Amino acid sequence: MSPIAHEEVQAIAQEVFAAMIDGEPESLVPWPDAGTGSDAVVAWVDVHGPWLGRASLETSTPAAHELARALLSMEADETVPREDVVDALGELANVVGGNVKALLPEHGTLGLPNVADRLPDGHLAAAVQRVPLAWRGHPFVVTVWEVAEPTVSVREGER
Amino acid sequence: MRALVIDDSRTMRRIVRATLAAFGYEVHEAEHGQAALDLLEGGLEVDLACVDWNMPVLDGLQFVTRVRANPLWRAVTLVMVTTESEHSQIVRALAAGAHEYVIKPFTADALREKLELLGLVPEPVAAGGVA
Amino acid sequence: MTLAADTFAYVADLVRQRSAISLEPGKEYLVESRLAPLARERGMDVDAYVRALRAQPRETELMGVVEALTTNETSWFRDQTPFMALSQHVVPALRAHLGRLDSLRVWSAACSTGQEPYSIAMVLEGTLDAGTALSITATDLSEQVLARARAGTYTQLEINRGLPAPMLVRHFQRAGAHWQVSDPLRKVVTFRRHNLLDPAPAGGPFDVVFLRNVLIYFDLAVKRAVLDRVLRAMRPGGYLVLGAAETTLGVHDGFERVEAGRACLHRAIGRPLTATLPTETARRLAGTIPHPLSAADRTRAAVPTFRGVAP
Repeated sequence: MSPIAHEEVQAIAQEVFAAMIDGEPESLVPWPDAGTGSDAVVAWVDVHGPWLGRASLETSTPAAHELARALLSMEADETVPREDVVDALGELANVVGGNVKALLPEHGTLGLPNVADRLPDGHLAAAVQRVPLAWRGHPFVVTVWEVAEPTVSVREGER
Repeated sequence: MRALVIDDSRTMRRIVRATLAAFGYEVHEAEHGQAALDLLEGGLEVDLACVDWNMPVLDGLQFVTRVRANPLWRAVTLVMVTTESEHSQIVRALAAGAHEYVIKPFTADALREKLELLGLVPEPVAAGGVA
Repeated sequence: MTLAADTFAYVADLVRQRSAISLEPGKEYLVESRLAPLARERGMDVDAYVRALRAQPRETELMGVVEALTTNETSWFRDQTPFMALSQHVVPALRAHLGRLDSLRVWSAACSTGQEPYSIAMVLEGTLDAGTALSITATDLSEQVLARARAGTYTQLEINRGLPAPMLVRHFQRAGAHWQVSDPLRKVVTFRRHNLLDPAPAGGPFDVVFLRNVLIYFDLAVKRAVLDRVLRAMRPGGYLVLGAAETTLGVHDGFERVEAGRACLHRAIGRPLTATLPTETARRLAGTIPHPLSAADRTRAAVPTFRGVAP
C-alpha cells in the first residue's frame, strides 16, 4: 500500500508550476489520455531510505523546450541549448521529487536528478501513482515508482 | 550587498540570481558547497548565501556547518533554498546554523519576504507610492 | 471544455470593474477552473452559469464570481512592523496601563484565510506569560475563506510566504502535501462570519483590533461608520492597527495616533459618535462601492508595495 495519494502528487505538480512557471496552479490540468510518443523527455530523481522509489516527469521534446524557456525567462522564439533543457527538466524533477519524499512517513534521502529520453531498463519498480496532466496542450505525466522489496534488508542501507 | 547562490542547477541559480539582482545585489554563483567554500576562502565577502541542500561534492547542510564553524564568516546570513521539506529537515538545518529556510518551489515574493525578515532587502530609493 | 469567448469577455469585464484586476486573454483556464465549483453547485457548466448570470444578474452571485477570481494567497506577518509593535509596545503599554494583564482580547477583522490571526497568536504566545488569558476573534464576510481559516491547513506555497522558519517548525506539522497549524494555536482563535457594518462580533471588549487595508475601499461616511463600530467594541485605551496607508485622522476623532517603532497605532481615547449612521444607511452606502467588505481582493489590491526593513 503506497503512502502517497494521487491528489497529493497532483497538488505538488500544480504548485511547482504555479510558483516557477505560470503563476497559477490551474495551468496544469488533469488529462487522462496524456501520453508521450517517440519524442519523450524523462527526468527523474530517486529516493533512498526505508521507502525506495523514484519520482519521474515525462513530457514531449517541444514541451521540454517550452518549459526550459519559461523557467529561464527566455523569449518564445529563442532556441534553448540542449544542456539548459536537461538542467531545467532535472531541476523540475528535483523539486517535485523532494516534495513527494516529504509525503513519506519515514525520512529518506534524495538522489541527484537524471534526464534521458526514457527511464533506464530493469529498474524493478512498479508505478504506484501515475498522474497524467496537460500543460499548454502538451502531455505532462508525473509518476511515482516504488522499487520492489530488495533481497537485503532495506533498513540496513539507512544509517 | 553581495550574495552567493549555491545550487548545482544552473536553472535555479539563474532564477535566484535574477531575483536578488532585482534587489540590487551583486551575485556570485557556486555549483556545490565546496566551490562556495573555495570562493569564501579566496576572500570573497558576502552578506548572504542562498544554499541548496542536495548537491554533489559538498552538500548544503555540510556547507552551513562549515561556515558556522569559522568565526571569520560570522557575518554571512545563510538561507537554505531547497526542495527538502520535511519538518525534521528544517529543524536540522536551523540547528546547523541556517537563519532562514525557503522551500522549493518558491516565488520571487516569497524570497523577498524571507529576506525582509532578515533585514536583507535594501530600502527602496524612493518612498513606496500609494496605488 | 473550452470557454465561449463572450463568457470570458463578460467575466473579465466584471472583474476589471470591481477589483481593478485585469484578466488577459489566455487566462480562460483560470475562469473555467475558478468558476467550475460555483457552476457545479447549480448543476451547470461554466458557460451556462455565466449565461444565466447575464440574463439575471444578482448581486451576491456577482460578488461570488469576483471573489472566486481574485482570491490569492496572503502572507504571514504581513508588513512585519504591526506584529513587532504588538509585542514590543502594545503588550507592555497595556500591562503598564492596567497594572496587570489578566486577559488580552484581540479582534482580527477581515481576516481572509487566517494568516493574520494565527500570526498574532504566534507573536503573543512568545510575549505573554501564563497569567494572561488570550483570545483572538477573527472575522470575515466570506464563509469560503473562513472555512479555510478554521481548518488551519496551508499549501507549501502559502507556508513559504513570510513565515519565519523557527515559527514554522514550532507551530506547524506536515499533513500530506500541506501544513497544519498546531492545536494550541487554533484553540486561541475563534472564527466568525461578520459584516463590518453590523454591530461588533462577540468576544470583546477588545484590547487590540487589526483592521488593515479595508478602509481604503470606503468613502468617508462609511469609513466613519466602521470606525465608530470598532471604537464601541474596544476597551478604552486599546489599540487599533490599520494598514500602512490608512489613518483615523480626519475620519474619527475617537483615536489618537501613537508611534511605536516603525508602526503607527491608533489608541482608543474618545467616545463613539452620538449621531452614528444607522446600519441600513451604511449598507446602502457600502453597496455603491465596488466589492465592499470581503478580504478576498485586498490581497492583490493592497496598497504598500515595499515594506521596508526590519530594524
